[in-house]
Amino acid sequence: MMFLVIIALALVLLVTGFEMLLVLGLPALAYKEAFYARLPDPAVVQKIVGGIDHTTLLAIPFFIFAANLMGSGQIARQLIGVVTALVGHTRGGIGHVVVGGSMAFGSVSGSAPATVAAMGRMAYPEMRRAGYSEKFSLGLLVASAETALLIPPSITLIIYGWITGTSISQLFAAGLGVGIVLGLAFAVFVELQARRDKVSHGDRVPWSGRLRAVWDAKWALGMPVIILGGIYSGTITPTEAAAVSVVYAIAVEMLVFRSLNLSALIRITEDSAINTAIIFVLLAMGGLISFFVTLAQVPDMILGLLASADAGKIAFLIAVNLCFFIAGMFVDPNSTLLVLVPPLYPVALSFGIDPVHFGMVVTLNVCLGMITPPFGLDIFVASSTLGKPVTDIIRGVWPFVVVNVIVLLLITYVPQISLLVPRLIYG
Amino acid sequence: MQLLNLLRKIERSVLVALFLIMVLLYTGSVVTREIGGTFASRFAWIEEAVRMMNLFLVFLALGLALERGKHVGITNLRQKLPEPLRRRLLQVIDTVGLLFSLYVAWLAFGLVQFVLKTGQVSPTLGVPIGLIYMAPVVGFVLLALRYGLSLFGVIDRFTPQEATQ
Amino acid sequence: QEFIARIGHLESAAQSRHVHLEKVAELVAERTDGAVELQLFPQGQLGNQRQMNEGVQLGTIEGTVAPAAFLGGFNPAVSILDIPYLLPEDAAEAQALREGPFGKALLDTFSDKGMVALTLWPNGKKQFTSNKPLDSLTDFADQKFRVMDSSILIEQFNALGASAIALPFGELYTSLQTGVVDGEENPLDTIKNMKFYEVQDYVVISDHGAMEDVVLFNPMFWDSLPAEYQDVISTAFSEVIPDLTAHKAAAVEEALQVITDSGTNVRVASAEERAELHDATWGPASEAYVAKAGETGEALLKAYDEATAASQ
Ligand code: NA
Ligand code: NA
Repeated sequence: MMFLVIIALALVLLVTGFEMLLVLGLPALAYKEAFYARLPDPAVVQKIVGGIDHTTLLAIPFFIFAANLMGSGQIARQLIGVVTALVGHTRGGIGHVVVGGSMAFGSVSGSAPATVAAMGRMAYPEMRRAGYSEKFSLGLLVASAETALLIPPSITLIIYGWITGTSISQLFAAGLGVGIVLGLAFAVFVELQARRDKVSHGDRVPWSGRLRAVWDAKWALGMPVIILGGIYSGTITPTEAAAVSVVYAIAVEMLVFRSLNLSALIRITEDSAINTAIIFVLLAMGGLISFFVTLAQVPDMILGLLASADAGKIAFLIAVNLCFFIAGMFVDPNSTLLVLVPPLYPVALSFGIDPVHFGMVVTLNVCLGMITPPFGLDIFVASSTLGKPVTDIIRGVWPFVVVNVIVLLLITYVPQISLLVPRLIYG
Repeated sequence: MQLLNLLRKIERSVLVALFLIMVLLYTGSVVTREIGGTFASRFAWIEEAVRMMNLFLVFLALGLALERGKHVGITNLRQKLPEPLRRRLLQVIDTVGLLFSLYVAWLAFGLVQFVLKTGQVSPTLGVPIGLIYMAPVVGFVLLALRYGLSLFGVIDRFTPQEATQ
Repeated sequence: QEFIARIGHLESAAQSRHVHLEKVAELVAERTDGAVELQLFPQGQLGNQRQMNEGVQLGTIEGTVAPAAFLGGFNPAVSILDIPYLLPEDAAEAQALREGPFGKALLDTFSDKGMVALTLWPNGKKQFTSNKPLDSLTDFADQKFRVMDSSILIEQFNALGASAIALPFGELYTSLQTGVVDGEENPLDTIKNMKFYEVQDYVVISDHGAMEDVVLFNPMFWDSLPAEYQDVISTAFSEVIPDLTAHKAAAVEEALQVITDSGTNVRVASAEERAELHDATWGPASEAYVAKAGETGEALLKAYDEATAASQ
């Protein structure tokens, strides 16, 4: 009963337009008082801070900062110019660029929110200019960033590998395959949408023109070269790449292009700090909620239900997807991974499900959780960095949630897709 | 009003300085690693320092973010309400926000005192960990201040946000 | 149940620590007729180790089983366990040291830190791995090793002329793969579980670092227990130690097999090489320890010298 009252409170706060930090924070406090009254009160703050006190999260503020610099200066425009010269004549045009760009950027950053921040600032204006609707542009930017968690390197896959003892190399190989499948699904959707919206596309640029565009953007192209080259040569970690990209953006925009002066740098720094705070305060409140979900031992209840229903393999996989989907709507999906995988994994094994395949199902669910409302981290990032209302983004995102669910079902029930790349590489 | 402007100036300066120093330190640690040897070992503290600075960056920006109407929320319904009702709702939000922020700041202050008493220090730098919990104390006080100023009509945190929609 | 203790730790459910925590929970439930329930939360579900330690002090959770390496910020004295080759190689001698005056003195240093330290749990020995050959001590020079947050471990690598690099555990696999760092140190079963051998070419079995766990309880909770329940819990934690040691040894043996089968070059360091490593690192590491732990640290080192002198 008390539990339902708290859920109702959260819903009321949500629809009446309270700040999201209150929508998450107040019910969490109420829950604590109702069910864990004896827990010392300062523990609340310990968990709030704990939700954001991770080194791997640092990539997000740095990439937000870099994206704001590139978007305000010349780098973003030049990078888009290169890609337009190369693929601008195809029907999907800039839409495909967003999918491909997110896969490339997400691959190295390993962080879906960081990918939304960076790609959003660069590509959103261009998508609108090409004639894509606002809804579709926002949805595509948010959704295609999910591939960051699948295409290696991926911390989500490393955590799954550690919990279950699955080979991380095999998971990375599988993640590459599934990430590409997801990217292709989005590309198909882009193509269909481009036909329907009659998106404008340019003429084919001759190779001489393409080379000129590349040469003109040499300084801007240094950015992906530094990030990708730095990481794959083993000079920097993905988090460090984020910081280095800020330094590079400042140097090029201020010294080479002279497109930003000192006061612009200060303004952009300040805006980036505020963008970071808006996202991290939600992660912080998420840390508090995850703590209570863990204490309540919810996964044990789910397992109890599954056992009592005497479920088969197919029903089990449906149940797994449902659990993650529902949890992903309300909690940071990486926390659900930590809480749900340990109890579900042995059951999956008992049904003869391949650990690598199960890892893909779980990771796709984590991806999905990043974009499902009401608590979809990537939605908030897009809202904050593009200055668009959350509801606009949710309207744009739901068709992609559908695409995502279709891919999820495909991956869930056709294990061969997940296992293809690992088998090609490892036999 | 002058006091408020001074406060804003301090908040903005601290945020900008923090963020730029974080970037420089993190980039610097790459450089020290390239130099290598035991020289690189001397900078093992950077990771820890930047992580702590990020906590301050996040919490210290909460107030400014509210003042500028940047915090995310689902505001469609509330915009469709008739004006008197909408005004009343905004007052409720401000009041609840004020009380929530003050309460969390108070709890955070309790945590600071507790952790300082246990003597916990950060493993590499030896900084008292109690100090990192000052970040939510100050941050939620700054947030409470903005909720309060909005409640009493000193600042208008709704117009800029509504204007972009 | 009259008493519920939520106990968090970092390892996964299949690892030795969790398996034996389950045994302890079973024993305690049985012997208290279900009056005391230990609820276990593995793999950092309740937060990272720093947050769990703090949670135990605060009473957010009732207990944690913490690797000593994560406790230096809370109790500098415990970092004595970071000094290379502190514990004797022989398992029985090591256990005698844990149970003797030195072990007791070490556990006592927690009493004014807001934690009840019940016992030390052995959790294996650290080995070095790298992508560059580690044929002798001179090979360590100029290699980059990922190190946990500890000034003593930093000194250990400095003494060998190597770079000690701070990296989060979650980023370590990829960093070893791309070459951000050359190597790291961990027990063999961790190297197996985290799949580090997939991205490392060389392993040296040097047994240089003790991975001791400290069993910690919240003092308020502990004091609220009747003395007989306290006894039941302490006894249960102590009596599983032989099982735990055996389980760990089997896990290490299995890990060694997996790592060797993968084609990774595994080399066992000779007694002379270990002595050499000991001599090179002991001085700087123990100086760094005393610098950090002050008088308490000096006293503990003295207790250690007395205990080891007595056993020889
Ligand atoms: Na990735
Ligand atoms: Na979600």
